[in-house]
Amino acid sequence: MEDEEDQQKVSDLVRELVIRLLSSPADDGSATTNSKPNLNSPHFVNSLRYAQRILCSRLTPSVAPDAAAIADSVKRRLASHGSSSLALSFADLFAKFSSKTGPGSVNNKWAVIYLLKIISEDRKGAKSQYCPSNLLPNLSLSDDADFGKGKGSSSVKPLGDNNKKGWDNGVLLVSKDPENRRELAFREFVNLVREENEVSEEVLVRDVLYACQGVDGKYVKFDGGSDDAGYVLSDSISVPRATRIMVHKLCELGRLFRKVTGYIAQSMDRFPAEDVGTVGQALCSALQDELTEYYKLLAVLEAQSSNPIPLVSETASSGNYLSLRRLAVWIAEPMVKMRLMADLVDKCRVLKGGAMASAIHLHARHGDPLVHEFMRRLLQRVCAPLFEMVKRWVQEGELEDIFAEFFIVGQEVKAESLWREGYRLNHSMLPSFISPSLAQRILRTGKSINFLRVCCDDRSWADAATRVATDIGVTARRGGFGYGETDTLESLVDEAAKRIDKHLLDVIYRRYKFKEHCLAIKRYLLLGQGDFVQYLMDIVGPDLSEPANTISSFKLSGLLETAVRASNAQYDDRDMLDRLRVKMMPHESGDRGWDVFSLEYDARVPLDTVFTESVMAKYLRIFNFLWKLRRVEHALTGAWKTMKPNCISYHSFTRLQSAVKKELDSTLRRCQVLWVEINHFISNLQYYIMFEVLEVSWSNFLSEMDVAKDLDDLLAAHDTYLDSIVEKSLLGELSQSLYKSLLVIFDLILRFRSHADRLYEGIQELQARITRSSQSSSEQGSWTADGRKALTQRAGEFLRNMGHDLEEISKEYSSLQEEFISQFPVQKHVDLKFLFFRLDFNEFYRRVSPSS
Amino acid sequence: MPREIITLQVGQCGNQIGMEFWKQLCLEHGISKDGILEDFATQGGDRKDVFFYQADDQHYIPRALLIDLEPRVINGIQNSDYRNLYNHENIFVSDHGGGAGNNWASGYHQGKNVEEDIMDMIDREADGSDSLEGFVLCHSIAGGTGSGMGSYLLETLNDRYSKKLVQTYSVFPNQMETSDVVVQPYNSLLTLKRLKLNADCVVVLDNTALNRIAVERLHLSNPTFAQTNSLVSTVMSASTTTLRYPGYMNNDLVGLLASLIPTPRCHFLMTGYTPLTVERQANVIRKTTVLDVMRRLLQAKNIMVSSYARTKDASQAKYISILNIIQGEVDPTQVHESLQRIRERKLVNFIEWGPASIQVALSRKSPYIQTAHRVSGLMLANHTSIRHLFSRCLSQYEKLRKKQAFLDNYRKFPMFADNDLSEFDESRDEVEALVDEYKACESPDYVKWGMEDMNNMLTAEGSAT
Repeated sequence: MEDEEDQQKVSDLVRELVIRLLSSPADDGSATTNSKPNLNSPHFVNSLRYAQRILCSRLTPSVAPDAAAIADSVKRRLASHGSSSLALSFADLFAKFSSKTGPGSVNNKWAVIYLLKIISEDRKGAKSQYCPSNLLPNLSLSDDADFGKGKGSSSVKPLGDNNKKGWDNGVLLVSKDPENRRELAFREFVNLVREENEVSEEVLVRDVLYACQGVDGKYVKFDGGSDDAGYVLSDSISVPRATRIMVHKLCELGRLFRKVTGYIAQSMDRFPAEDVGTVGQALCSALQDELTEYYKLLAVLEAQSSNPIPLVSETASSGNYLSLRRLAVWIAEPMVKMRLMADLVDKCRVLKGGAMASAIHLHARHGDPLVHEFMRRLLQRVCAPLFEMVKRWVQEGELEDIFAEFFIVGQEVKAESLWREGYRLNHSMLPSFISPSLAQRILRTGKSINFLRVCCDDRSWADAATRVATDIGVTARRGGFGYGETDTLESLVDEAAKRIDKHLLDVIYRRYKFKEHCLAIKRYLLLGQGDFVQYLMDIVGPDLSEPANTISSFKLSGLLETAVRASNAQYDDRDMLDRLRVKMMPHESGDRGWDVFSLEYDARVPLDTVFTESVMAKYLRIFNFLWKLRRVEHALTGAWKTMKPNCISYHSFTRLQSAVKKELDSTLRRCQVLWVEINHFISNLQYYIMFEVLEVSWSNFLSEMDVAKDLDDLLAAHDTYLDSIVEKSLLGELSQSLYKSLLVIFDLILRFRSHADRLYEGIQELQARITRSSQSSSEQGSWTADGRKALTQRAGEFLRNMGHDLEEISKEYSSLQEEFISQFPVQKHVDLKFLFFRLDFNEFYRRVSPSS
Repeated sequence: MPREIITLQVGQCGNQIGMEFWKQLCLEHGISKDGILEDFATQGGDRKDVFFYQADDQHYIPRALLIDLEPRVINGIQNSDYRNLYNHENIFVSDHGGGAGNNWASGYHQGKNVEEDIMDMIDREADGSDSLEGFVLCHSIAGGTGSGMGSYLLETLNDRYSKKLVQTYSVFPNQMETSDVVVQPYNSLLTLKRLKLNADCVVVLDNTALNRIAVERLHLSNPTFAQTNSLVSTVMSASTTTLRYPGYMNNDLVGLLASLIPTPRCHFLMTGYTPLTVERQANVIRKTTVLDVMRRLLQAKNIMVSSYARTKDASQAKYISILNIIQGEVDPTQVHESLQRIRERKLVNFIEWGPASIQVALSRKSPYIQTAHRVSGLMLANHTSIRHLFSRCLSQYEKLRKKQAFLDNYRKFPMFADNDLSEFDESRDEVEALVDEYKACESPDYVKWGMEDMNNMLTAEGSAT
């Protein structure tokens, strides 16, 4: 209550003061008028308000509270105004004022002086300005009057002494009075500028804003003609150079915006007629969203642009107006983004899909965090379709890529080549943030699923896939799955790949019995099942000696079946035996059955992915070679059987002439020794093939099979296996000459066999005759003498001829074998050393020809 | 067409080792004592039809003929657990049951008399096979039935089945202890001639060596017949593994023997086996690698033929051929390494007149028999030192012959009637020639052996005419 009373008291006092101040001139002027001023006159009201404002001001003075200093400055001002007398009298007054101490005196003298000084200055400024109404004419009368009042007011002071305590720290008022002179000057300047320029800044700002929205303004228009198309302020309009440059700079945004929106519009138009692609669409949408932000900004700017640009003095009061300069600040950041977008739009115009993502990714590697963040955001959007594709691909094997944007492309192929040719990486579409090895894994995973679906007719992969999906779903939700989450992608792919690959291998191993089929092929095509091969050789042998074109493969198939039934092969899985077929290779005239006969194994889907035609062709070649080798071996054991120890009863020859007997012995010995040598060669070649080639390759294959993690590993392991067999069994490119000489040796051995057979046939016949003649000799003595002589003669001749032939063969064989062995050192691969080691185990050849 | 092999077990010894052989085969193939396939025997991969055939009731029946002139051993078989295994039609026991009295001539003569019965049985068996590969004869050469009747059968088979192989497992008598069969040198010599002329391959099982192995290697102080016979059956079954478990090579008897026997008359094979156990005797488990097995197989102490050679001769002895059949889990890459080691260390001495090498056949092991050893090996070798065994037979014969001892027993039979002992002389010559040929094989000039005087002979011939 007391406060309120005080307030009322103060305001009453102020009112009193104003009345007194205003009335005094009237006292001076005319006594007739009421000494009391008209309380309702605006003059009075304004003055009162002014006074109140002064009292209410809480501004702290910006000067140090030094009464002497303020007094000095007042003195100086008075002196500079040429009224040194006034200055002197002020000094006098001030001295009195400051010396006055004790009760009733003013405590804060400096503040009083300061107040008065400020008020006086304020008045002065108002006077100099354009002022429609002279509100305080008596105050502006003279400086002297001011000070007089100031002095006079000191008497009032004690009254307000207590009340003034709240504003002890002094009072400052900065006037915003429109009468400000500077303001006037500015207005003048503006008008001047306006006269000088045809266009005001507001208009320019508005035009620039239009341009920023891609719309032609009044003065700023799009110029598509010149080299660097963009919005320009037409030359005809005269604006200062600085403004022009400014406008030009700001208008770049418009140009960029136009480009970006142009691209978006274009893409949208093209869709779906032309393939923009989902990535392109995603880019458009992401750009659109970025533009939305931009539009918001523009809207705000636009609103601000309608506020007039205030004069400089007004700037402190409100910011809601737009000058070119302000605009430049506002759009600095959008400009950077827009520039990036425009840049992307340029880069991506011809790109799509993964390539587009790569292009954007290239920009994302930027040191500027703003750019980086912006690009990352964009990429997350852009890559979303790609990642969705990856997800679908690795989890379901679906290739959802109508616009050919994905880095995996599929093509229609037969089931057997699905794995190798069905899908491939399109490197141009591979986003650069996905490493090639990861891409390979992604490719393989989806491929595995498709392989399972198409070739293996397997549905259970879905379980594996679902498990992956749920597992990854958790991590994906946690970490997000998209651009920048390469780790998540990797783990998703790895997890999916691991399961699918494992499942695929399981299916291949368990359901399709890959290992068993490999073993079956080894046993039948690589002749591992010895008894089967032997019977087959036994029964098809006679047929194969016929010309190739007369052989019925139908009959051979029957014989094959017989051989299967007769051998241990019969216990094999029927499914595997059914796949075993006779195949006649294309033949030329003059070919014998031996040249064209071969076995083939029908691998069927899905194993034909491993056993492709070219793989089977290799198997066929190996079979052909092994089969020939077997034939030779077969011939040799056949020869041994005719030569076997108890086949000749030497008894019968005891009566023969000793010369003929010696001839017989030597021929037989020659035959046997040659047989030994040839057999040694062939059986060691066989052992070499078995141990160093087939078994070793097989055991390597098995161990590689064990560690194979996916089908590709398996395929590679199988290829290694097959190639090593081809290489080591002299079927490779490098050993062609060796192979040829081997075939020549084989032919010679077959010739030897027929000679050996003839020799033994002859000897058996001789034996029979001798037995007969010896039986008959007891009856007809005279006849036998001649008969025996003739017999002996013929026998001797036969043996000599045979011996001669065998000698020839022996020589030929020696030279052929020597030639064969001499080629070994030229050969690259090590395993032939093993063969040579075996061939010359007891160093027989080294002794015979120490040079080699 | 399983390339069947018919086994003829003749005489006491032949039937005993034969029985052990079939026991072993049944175990390996999972065939019960009654010839029924055991439930667990499903693993396949083996060929039972080489040595067995299946009767209508699915019983597996050995392709075996049990022949003896006295009933004791065969009765024993017929009263044993295995009585239902054999085809009873294939058992021949002479009517009178008196045996051959350890007399070769008696056995031979009786063989001639029962030729028809026995040949009927053989023919029946042969007709029952698709592609008969040959015959295996188990016998001893010292007694009467196995040697005499065995000899007769060899001649008959050679004549009747000249295209078929005839392999024998011939038990040579123990010459370290005095035998109850005093005429054993005669019997041996006469049998040896047939083994040389009428058999394609003779696997020599030397009782002396078998006993030595039983004592030294198996630490049996007084080995029984059953124990030595189980050694024999081990060797017999191991030597047929490649026929019974077909692999890449050596799947028939011809293939197996051809490389082992390069020259017709040198067809006497020695065997070695490692690691040896008898009757599931617990043995120290040794580390068995391919190299270990192959090296041990080359050691004389593991070879089942005694070498009577003097040191000088022994150093001259040479391998004509070697086949190692390695059974069990073997890494094929080890084979080459082992061969290399063996050659580096010159552990084996081969003939010089032709190329030769150690052949290695890898074979599966029966999945039904648990053994302590991962790898086991059998060596079949054609070694020239075997001539010393024959020489010893010869010298023992000479000693006896000089005394003209016990010849009367032989003169009772037609072959030696009228004091015609030319058969003895002929046999002696044949065996001597065999010894000579083996000796010749030790020289690098074997190829020319026997031909040196050819030119002389030719000129002699010329002057004569």
